Amino acid sequence: MNASMSYDVAIVGGGPAGMAAAERTIGAGLSTCLIDEQPRLGGQILRQPPPGFAVTGWQSGRLYRAARALLARVERLDAFDFRAGHAVLGVGAGHAEEGGFALSVQPLATGGVERIDARRVIVAGGCYDMPVAFPGWTLPGVMSAGAVQTLLKSPQVLPGGRIALFGTHPLMIVLAEQILAAGGEVAGVHFAQPRRAMLAALGPRLPGVLRAWRPLLEGARGLANLRQAGVPVHFGSAIVRAEGGDALEAITLLRAGGRERVACDVAAMCYGFLPQSDLVRQVGAAVRWAPGPGGWETLCDEGMRSSLPGLYVAGETAGVAGSDVAMLRGALAGVTLACDAGALDEVEGARVAAALRARIARLAPFTAMLRELADPQAYLPEPELETLVCRCEDVSARALDAAIAACAEGDDGFGASAVKLRCRAGMGLCQGRSCEHAVIRRIARASGREAAQVAGFTARFPARAVPIAELLERDAPAR
Amino acid sequence: MTPGSSHPDILIVGGGLLGCASAWHLARRGLRVALVEQSQVNAGASGQNAGSLHFQIERRFLEQGEEAASDAARIVSLNRLAIAEWQGLEDMLGRGLDIAMHGGLMVAETEAEMALLAFKVARENALGLPTRLLDADELRARAPCLSPHLAGAAWLAEEGHANPRILAGAFAQQAAREGAVIACGARLTGLAMQADGQYRATIEGLDGLGEVTTPRVLLASGHWSARLAGLLGLNLPLYPVPLMMNVTERGEQVLPFLVQHVGQRLSMKQSEDGNFLIGGGWPSRFRRRADGLPDLDRPGEIVEANLLGNLAVAARVMPGLAARSLLRSWTGTTCISADQLPLVGEVGKAPGLFVAAGGSLFTLGPVLARLLAQTIVDGRPADELALFLPDRFAHLNAFAVLP
Repeated sequence: MNASMSYDVAIVGGGPAGMAAAERTIGAGLSTCLIDEQPRLGGQILRQPPPGFAVTGWQSGRLYRAARALLARVERLDAFDFRAGHAVLGVGAGHAEEGGFALSVQPLATGGVERIDARRVIVAGGCYDMPVAFPGWTLPGVMSAGAVQTLLKSPQVLPGGRIALFGTHPLMIVLAEQILAAGGEVAGVHFAQPRRAMLAALGPRLPGVLRAWRPLLEGARGLANLRQAGVPVHFGSAIVRAEGGDALEAITLLRAGGRERVACDVAAMCYGFLPQSDLVRQVGAAVRWAPGPGGWETLCDEGMRSSLPGLYVAGETAGVAGSDVAMLRGALAGVTLACDAGALDEVEGARVAAALRARIARLAPFTAMLRELADPQAYLPEPELETLVCRCEDVSARALDAAIAACAEGDDGFGASAVKLRCRAGMGLCQGRSCEHAVIRRIARASGREAAQVAGFTARFPARAVPIAELLERDAPAR
Repeated sequence: MTPGSSHPDILIVGGGLLGCASAWHLARRGLRVALVEQSQVNAGASGQNAGSLHFQIERRFLEQGEEAASDAARIVSLNRLAIAEWQGLEDMLGRGLDIAMHGGLMVAETEAEMALLAFKVARENALGLPTRLLDADELRARAPCLSPHLAGAAWLAEEGHANPRILAGAFAQQAAREGAVIACGARLTGLAMQADGQYRATIEGLDGLGEVTTPRVLLASGHWSARLAGLLGLNLPLYPVPLMMNVTERGEQVLPFLVQHVGQRLSMKQSEDGNFLIGGGWPSRFRRRADGLPDLDRPGEIVEANLLGNLAVAARVMPGLAARSLLRSWTGTTCISADQLPLVGEVGKAPGLFVAAGGSLFTLGPVLARLLAQTIVDGRPADELALFLPDRFAHLNAFAVLP
């Protein structure tokens, strides 16, 4: 292990929230280290092409304007360390005397493990697509909307000729437009919820939502564009199964009018997003079950302080709310931290924080509306008994149910870890990211509890599965 | 706690392997057993260890020189009983326990380590344990997945591994069937000896405080046992040891054996499912409480240098391991006694108070629980426990005041 570097602040995640936080901590004169797995800044929303590649009109849509401006500002800053291509494997307590935190960080290019010490840490880990199990979901060609989008944004690749989108999240509209713009064919956009359910979510909040009108306008315009391009957009059209031999050939959807079989090479699901919270759970900060898609969002106060002194959260790690809110919460975390560190005058800090909170409050009606409108809970497809729920360890719904029933015999308060120990669901390479929410939901349903009352998997080191050879590599340059 | 269990014949504190197995043996013999567990059955070291069934003399006993090794070698006689116990366990409990006894190798990398192995094998054979020394070629023939650079190994055909995730639970289930009352989420907060020699235990449970009066208490609470004995003003020389374990993703079955190292901390095996489990006594580090003292109640945190050290030894012994991914590392707290041997039996100063704790208790747990139950029922220590009786440390309790 290489000698450690010590900073006032380590920020995990170089997306909108992490960048916004860094801008504030650097501005306050705090030594800052920003760490991200990707080779370039921007996070998933601004997933950049590889270094050295220029793409004309990259992410030119209006939805990305504010984030792009932030990216440009942060890329111009030079008074901080950006550890590009570094994965944070763990966060632990720092020096016994000095406190703070020690981060175990892996340089992806060279391997090995480095230690980064920081007085304070901001975790801005973002979120990931909610994976949903249904018959045929493990066929090659069934993907997440986020994966399709990442392929479009960074290597500029279309994963298939005919791409069908299904789920509950309006991001499908944005993605469909991006696919068309990239020269792809959209074989249909299928919202599982009926149109009236979406309007019901929108209606009562309309006055507040109109204060943040741009995303709404973009959505409406996107729908019109898709219609014009001849892309079928259906509501109340729920996936039943994906079919194919070695790879996906079609999906079957159920609508009021009956079943429809849609031929496609790629079917991308979009039911919403789960917060990345593995690091905060590993280090022991308090989390709670998130509304809608679920997953664990980190509890924090109005200054983005987690339950652990010195640990802050920002962006989707604190609850999925979109990039505009993420940026504001990132800035808020940075300002709070700078005040706590004595690097920012308290009066000035309070003024800036209040302004940021006011802007977050203006976006709140829209965030709440979108959450309700996109809520997948009532529309999740049902796996059959033989459908794999945990695809890393090949655990079927039947095996999962048997494990849940066995756990229920001895104990009525059992959590997901007890089930995992019995049937191996969540033990595999994805470390439970994929199936945890489904395991929790199934436990909740079987035992008559709310999902929020079911304890999740225990978060362990390392946050990502790593080949042992890469951990042992000692050739990383000494710092 | 149910009202029917407020006057049990014995109160067992701790729902780990020792507690659950003892509960089963005692309930079968007709005792009214109440077991309290502060969290869940098998939540502590019993479920967090790597499930090694190791019967050769442990490397830690060889670290302290030949004389200490000869002393410690006396544990081998118990190991022989433990082998028989494990061989009959699935039949006894009437269910599969993922027990694999396909043999174990304690490898050596250098000639000096080979000499230590030879010394060890001679001691073991003299005590009736049929270990055998393998040279480099014999080792390669037996375990082609291991490094060709190894100098040799000591082989014991009965070694192997079992699934620590299910064993304690299996005992608990059977114990409950025999009438034992097992209360999870119930913590022992007070323990006193009454004038009549009975124990009064205060239990903080999910439904409030409860009192239990009982003639016997068994502390089978791992490293907490020492603190619980402290409630009576007694000293047990048990010290907490925070360790770490690692597991890789699944791979093709290539390693049917338990692998240990005579000169390095290493235990390595491949589970039924194909994952490699890697450990061997590498320490984690206690987190700190707000007052700066080590927090013994929470699992320790990973020490990167030890993680890498452990993986490096494992990958050196089995080069193919480097291609596997590390999935999880976890920590757990075992304990060690002042002379490295477990404490099992009655505490002389406090008649009716029994203890079973002190390390290596996955391998030895089932047999020790049986011998302890026999001791409790017969009212005198089983001969096989002579080496492990807590009263070898009776001097530590010379000044205790009871009741």
